[in-house]
Amino acid sequence: MEPRILTARWNVPDVHNIDTAMRHGAWRALPMALKRAPADVTNEVKNSGLRGRGGAGFPTGMKWTFVPPVEKRGGKPVYLVCNADESEPGTFKDRYLMWKDPHMFVEGCVISAYATGAERVYIYLRGEFAFIQRRVDAAIAQARAKGFIGKNILGSGANIEVYTHLGAGAYICGEETALLSSLEGGRGQPKLKPPFPAVEGAWRCPTIVNNVETMAAVTWILEHGAAEYRKFGTEKSPGTKLFSCSGHIRKPGVYEVALGYPMTSLIENECGGLYPGRTLKAVIPGGSSVPIMTPEEVSKSTMDYESINTVAGSYLGSGGLIVMDDTTDLVDSLTNLLRFYAHESCGQCTPCREGCGWMFKVLQRVKSGEATDLDLATLKDLADNIFGRTICFFGPSAAMPVQSFLKKFPDEFFGRVHRTGQVSYANIGAAAPAAR
Amino acid sequence: MGSHSKGVPAPDHGPVDWSAEDKVKIDEIFQRYPERRAGLLPVLWLAQQKWGWLSESVIRRVGLTLGLPPSDVLAVASFYTMFKKEPTGRYVLQVCHTLSCALRGADQIVSYLEGKLQIDPHTGHSPDGMFKLERVECLASCGSAPMMQVDEHFYELLTPQKIDEILDGFKSGRPLPTPRPEADQWTWNRVS
Amino acid sequence: MPTVKINGQEVVVPDGVNMIEAAAQLGVEIPHYCYHPHLSIAGNCRMCLVDIEAGGRGPDIACNMKARDGLAIRTDTAQVKQMRKSVMEFLLANHPLDCPICDQAGECRLQDYYMDYGQYESRLVDAKVAKPKRQDIGDHIVLDSERCVACSRCVRFGDEVTKTGELRLFNRTDHTEIGIFPGERLKHQYQGVLADICPVGALTNKDFRFAKRVWYLKETESVCNGCATGCNIFVCHENGGVFRYLPRRNDAVNKSWMCDVGRADYAEVNSTRRMARAQVGGKPVTVDAAVQAALNLLRSGDPAQVAVVFGAQATNEANFGLLRIVQDLLPRASIYICEGNNPGASAYHDQLLVSPDKNPNSVGARVIAATKGDVGSRSDLIAGLKGGSIKVLLVLEDDVLGRLKLDSQGARIVYVGAWRNDTAAAAEVVLPAAHSVEQDGSFTNADGRAQRLRRSVLPLGDSLPAWQLLDKLAAAMGRPLGFSMGAVAFKRLAEGVPAFAGLSYQSLGGGGAALPKSALSDSETFPTEAVTTQMRLNASV
Repeated sequence: MEPRILTARWNVPDVHNIDTAMRHGAWRALPMALKRAPADVTNEVKNSGLRGRGGAGFPTGMKWTFVPPVEKRGGKPVYLVCNADESEPGTFKDRYLMWKDPHMFVEGCVISAYATGAERVYIYLRGEFAFIQRRVDAAIAQARAKGFIGKNILGSGANIEVYTHLGAGAYICGEETALLSSLEGGRGQPKLKPPFPAVEGAWRCPTIVNNVETMAAVTWILEHGAAEYRKFGTEKSPGTKLFSCSGHIRKPGVYEVALGYPMTSLIENECGGLYPGRTLKAVIPGGSSVPIMTPEEVSKSTMDYESINTVAGSYLGSGGLIVMDDTTDLVDSLTNLLRFYAHESCGQCTPCREGCGWMFKVLQRVKSGEATDLDLATLKDLADNIFGRTICFFGPSAAMPVQSFLKKFPDEFFGRVHRTGQVSYANIGAAAPAAR
Repeated sequence: MGSHSKGVPAPDHGPVDWSAEDKVKIDEIFQRYPERRAGLLPVLWLAQQKWGWLSESVIRRVGLTLGLPPSDVLAVASFYTMFKKEPTGRYVLQVCHTLSCALRGADQIVSYLEGKLQIDPHTGHSPDGMFKLERVECLASCGSAPMMQVDEHFYELLTPQKIDEILDGFKSGRPLPTPRPEADQWTWNRVS
Repeated sequence: MPTVKINGQEVVVPDGVNMIEAAAQLGVEIPHYCYHPHLSIAGNCRMCLVDIEAGGRGPDIACNMKARDGLAIRTDTAQVKQMRKSVMEFLLANHPLDCPICDQAGECRLQDYYMDYGQYESRLVDAKVAKPKRQDIGDHIVLDSERCVACSRCVRFGDEVTKTGELRLFNRTDHTEIGIFPGERLKHQYQGVLADICPVGALTNKDFRFAKRVWYLKETESVCNGCATGCNIFVCHENGGVFRYLPRRNDAVNKSWMCDVGRADYAEVNSTRRMARAQVGGKPVTVDAAVQAALNLLRSGDPAQVAVVFGAQATNEANFGLLRIVQDLLPRASIYICEGNNPGASAYHDQLLVSPDKNPNSVGARVIAATKGDVGSRSDLIAGLKGGSIKVLLVLEDDVLGRLKLDSQGARIVYVGAWRNDTAAAAEVVLPAAHSVEQDGSFTNADGRAQRLRRSVLPLGDSLPAWQLLDKLAAAMGRPLGFSMGAVAFKRLAEGVPAFAGLSYQSLGGGGAALPKSALSDSETFPTEAVTTQMRLNASV
């Protein structure tokens, strides 16, 4: 049974207009949720086992419980922020979710706001999604006209406003605290944690940041129940997920599968497999920031939060599957990715600011044949010195590709450099000169 | 950026101000947020739409509108790639060249455009100044690669032939509609 | 008061301190660039990363880590050493090799921490990112954006302290660049502080540019004499020359700041405006000769027609010396304090540090003079001079004629002071006083805090600390004061003026000591409000 939770209405023309959407089931979950206590709604989401679909995979219901109870908030309002800043290379599922069926995730935002006590929802879209913002704004206006957004929604007493807010071109604004900095009208710089956003987020008020896909899933869960949701997926990774599939496949696109689906099946079936005469070289499973996988690891992995980690030391992440066949120059690919990270670093903290640009410069020399194996040792060491030392997760996001490409495809890199003989992958750590 | 350029005066709009209509829009913007400062990005967008790019005078005006020093406004604007700090040609062709697009020929698309439009490598502009070519990072269009963004619109599944059509549309003043049907109907969740 | 462990050693620390401060209490240095005790936490340099042994998950930055029971950190592990090395390597990756021409050398955290925690071989092969250098962004500051390590101290200072917000970080990635809005300049009066807080040579003091390598300088603790705030300072000097002032941290007075006006005073110490020689009748003489002449002048005529003006610009010790002279030798003299500022004093004052009262010791002079009682105000002094009831005037470090905009009205003047001014020009006898940095002494600031001055350079020419000149005068008049040194003078002061009871130079220490509040309202002859208004009015002249 192919799951049609998030993509149920994507085939329906004009479903971004509320009347069509409602004929196909939209805005049914909200009245049901409003009849329940907010804590009850939270419990439903908790019981469903839904995990954040933006990349971190944190249990959504649990995140909502981190908002301090009313008596401990000091009179501060709660804000719900929907992260629509989709910028992770290889990821495009939120774009289509918002474009194809905006009502599903907008409804989820209202439900989530109700559950967490938020009276204002800000949907932060990346700047390049202005055309999507128009559609979402229209959906919000339609929903307001029907009384699903605004004051005293459906007579429940809940007041919930939904606004969209447009970014202006910065990948880092997908990081939740950088998003909040940007929303507040500043540079997209991540904030120090603690304090955590659920306690002190936007405008120093309790704030929950959830991904678009997560919001859409909430809608379905409130309509059908946690038990139904758990019928899909695995024990630890229940439900379905949208996978953005790109690269050397015949049918790139967004595919909804139940978690636990074999990666090979996803590539061969939904994605249409590789081009004729090509063989698989590597796969990045969850957006460019997660470690790369070898074909052997691919053959053993299923699309869920656990398997990819156990088998390949990688992550499901945002579910951006990038497939690379044997025509791929992995040195070129890694250089391409590091150009991305070097361009997107917010520049706030030392290791990332200086290190990303440096790693990119080294890789450019590796790509052009002007590097030595000592440079590879430096490269790995720089990545290791960034990982875990930075304000936010961008550091590891830039470091993990470097570490994993070198670890899993050492020959590609050692074959491109002048060999002094002092360094091989086996001793790459020990041989790294300096900073030791 | 942000400090003193060497001798060449930067182009500028001269002192600018909002129209009455703009001010209504701006008030509405401020209403949406608990603090005025959160209106900065929306107001910068409004300013860019109105004046084309964010010159020093425009930055000063935004600063006055927000009650922020111009240094603060410029510090924020300079952080984001989509805010233009200098004037450009009418059509800015932003071609994605991050990994997924690169795997599907983005570099060839860039080369094609460079040749077709005779792009000056220093300015990024065509000789008539109408087009600017920019390489940009991932636009969340990896499934319909290679592609580019012009103004608000995505032009996807590019081939040299499609590019020719698109450029002709711009040159004639009648850009092709977007989204274009084939970009919207590529495969998703279609298991045969 | 939580108990934390650092490298296995327990320490009890005050509530709310971070682990950098907690470690400092144990004498353990945690290196840092962006942290500053008087600015908000930025946490961006990552130099203060420490391992967490218990009570948390590490490694994590110490500046953002509040001390709490059960927290144990380590700064001595191999990982911490490696983390510091790698942060140094990252910071130096795009940093220009400017040491030979950079003023910061010798007090640069990149240099210091490289020696302490770096010491690695460079493996940088690629080109460094270049940025604008040598920019004139204010009257007192030069900006070099290439040297900047993006710690954001200057940005936070502009936002949180001066609230002028000129300096910003622009762009992002390793092209992040410190700068100001094109065409703007820094306009506030704390530009020198930017050079102080900048841990590298990105912001340097224009005035000090290429003036002296800092390792030649000695630093002596003193107090600024520019206004009644009494910012604590370091006087930086070499071989008798003063090269600059730096603010000295005092959380009760000036935090870590000082204004540019006070900072500029260092150049005045040996300026040509100083009176370096004693004078009688306009002719230079020895100090002893001048003392004798002063004695004769003071003893001539009717003792009731002698007026003594206490000095708000003189030290506590000098004012006390004057008090003793009045008590013992001139009991029938009338005494005055002339409120207001000297002509030409800066009109600038603000809510931050700069007081409208440009006298460093108004409170001290008032409290000490009030011991005798019946202190006349400036209007009384004007009346006395104009009315002719004052025939002889003994003035301590105050340009009364300039302030009152009068000539001597026929009075004969003994002037004990440091500067050429109207009063000095009109004086029959001039005893040359030392500058505040040329003596041991103390001032009492507007909050009633007595703070020590330590001598950094010898007095210019024949000048001497005013308390020493008055000691000579008293001795010549037959009743020596016994002020063998500043500390002794202060001791006598503590014995003779109730407000200073129990204090000594030792108890003043580096941070000063507050006089009891009751002593400060001892000002019936000139209520504080009126004085303040009066001073503000004068300041605008």
